[in-house]
Amino acid sequence: MTTITADRPTKQYPLPDTTLTQRSVVSELRALLIMARKEWIIFTRYPSWVIAFIIWPVIFPLGAIFTAKALSGPDEASLPAFAALAGTTDYVAFIIIGLLIYMWLNITLWDVGFQLRNEQMRGTLESNWLCPTWRFSILLGPSLTKLGTSLFFLILGVVEYRLIFGVRLIQGNLALILLVLVLVIPSIYGIGVAFGSLVIRFKEANAMVFLVRGIFMIFTGASYPLAVLPAWMKGVAAWLPLTYAIKSIRDVSLQGATLIDILPELQMLAMFALIVPSAGYLIFRFTERRARRTGALGQY
Amino acid sequence: MNKPIVQVQALSKIYQQRKPKKNGSFWSKFRPNKSALEDLVAVDQVSFDIHRGEIFGLLGPNGAGKTTTIKMLCTLLEPTGGKATVSGYDIVRQADQVRQHLGAVLTGERSIYWKLTGRENLEYFAALYHIPPKIARGRIDALLDRLSLSSRADDYVERYSSGMKQRIAIAKALLAMPPVILLDEPTVGLDPQSARNLRELILEIKAEGHTILLTTHYMEEADQLCDRIGIIDQGTIIALDTPGVLKQSIDELDVMQLEIENFDPTLTEVLKRLPTVENVVSNHLEANGAWSLALYTTDSRDILPNLINLIGTKSGQIRHMEIVQPTLEDVFISMTGKQLRE
Repeated sequence: MTTITADRPTKQYPLPDTTLTQRSVVSELRALLIMARKEWIIFTRYPSWVIAFIIWPVIFPLGAIFTAKALSGPDEASLPAFAALAGTTDYVAFIIIGLLIYMWLNITLWDVGFQLRNEQMRGTLESNWLCPTWRFSILLGPSLTKLGTSLFFLILGVVEYRLIFGVRLIQGNLALILLVLVLVIPSIYGIGVAFGSLVIRFKEANAMVFLVRGIFMIFTGASYPLAVLPAWMKGVAAWLPLTYAIKSIRDVSLQGATLIDILPELQMLAMFALIVPSAGYLIFRFTERRARRTGALGQY
Repeated sequence: MNKPIVQVQALSKIYQQRKPKKNGSFWSKFRPNKSALEDLVAVDQVSFDIHRGEIFGLLGPNGAGKTTTIKMLCTLLEPTGGKATVSGYDIVRQADQVRQHLGAVLTGERSIYWKLTGRENLEYFAALYHIPPKIARGRIDALLDRLSLSSRADDYVERYSSGMKQRIAIAKALLAMPPVILLDEPTVGLDPQSARNLRELILEIKAEGHTILLTTHYMEEADQLCDRIGIIDQGTIIALDTPGVLKQSIDELDVMQLEIENFDPTLTEVLKRLPTVENVVSNHLEANGAWSLALYTTDSRDILPNLINLIGTKSGQIRHMEIVQPTLEDVFISMTGKQLRE
């Protein structure tokens, strides 16, 4: 092999100025926001997505509502039995609240992984990863858009049901409902980040989403009272932050529960908010390191 | 002597791959089995230095290890062994600083967002490089202008030609004005005019003081652009020097180019055994159905009668013959016995 020559070139060039591109909290936040903006722009450039986003909140809970209507019997004779389990006779509002919150959490939950997968498929994941931005920002930034749009989607669902079907979903303390939503977000992102790590590892999102989405749907009591679940399933439900979020919002909205009433659920949500994101971050760091060893980032 | 801006010492990348199993059950895929793994050496103890302001090329066929090397240098891949620094920062321990000091174009036109405009793409990546918005706006305008993209800056990238997409990808790499630019096969898929324009742009970038590492399997490109070239094959650098010195290294060889009709390809091996012949590469030409033959010999005069005789006995007809100046491809062929495009 020819040995390396070290004698050219001799001309001295000025070093381009890189001092203007130093990382700071502000620049990192700016990066986070522009990632969200980028996703919003791409989202709005597919009009069919926007239309689906407006119609879906009305369509999704209808199946469960009509099933419940059929099961409620003549003159809604079975309603007292339902009320004994759910704490309310308003089964329509009960189902809509559960499913809308489930949908909101679901969209946010999977979005981290889906965004990563989309970037991988487009071929842009590596060019993002090449930038000196915090990896966690690249993970969370794009999904901030979905957090915002899905929150809008939740509000839209509430308004659409009020206008089209005359259902009043929010009857209790709105501030308490918002508190529950704020407390559940870190856990949702924690699970989302862990899921995103699985996407990097296995390069396939749909199969896992179908599996885990089904598990969440059943164990969180999105469309029925948790009281109907067998004991072992209730045990599993107790480990899911979504269970507490859906229950406490229903309690506040349909039964007028106060802060004291839902304090146990809030405590659980706060605990999850501390543990789940940390665990998600650790899983992500581990997977990212592994991806750099195996070259999985650029693979489809 | 200045310290090289990129230093690579015995850099290696070995992947562990699952051996293909003919009779393995479905469940065996889920069972960890270390003996079912085999090592794939993608880059093997590669060493080179790149000096400030030069264009250094890694020239080799597909799968030679060029992209793996570049991906390790830009911190997307972790080396299995060896060490490398960019602007003095270690690619493993100081990955953040390394990313701050280099811009890279790896997957070309696929490295940008097609549903965004050219300007939106640059605004996006400027923020990811932590460039303050005011400075970013000025740089984006200047880059768009310089790359002749100003008039199409607010069109969706999906409506750009391949050459324009590639220029946006390069503008993205230049946004932070990094001292080192990595270009992985920058002209692949471009039409000849766009490729020529891009090569001129690369030379301009160099003239501004950027150091460039580019990978290519086009020998003319390496010859035209690079101050020094590392020829890489099967993960190993087999030669490293200036294009001129590399070509001189086979100066004692005559390179005979022949075009033959009705050539029997089995004759290639017979020709290789002739005295004074170092190597023979034959290629079927799709365009006219003839064969091209490149023959490397230390004495073309001596070989000529034998050559004509051998080809004639197999009813081949020599349509054209010339002795040509050695190219980088000839250097590669004389060292490996195969063509860059193989």
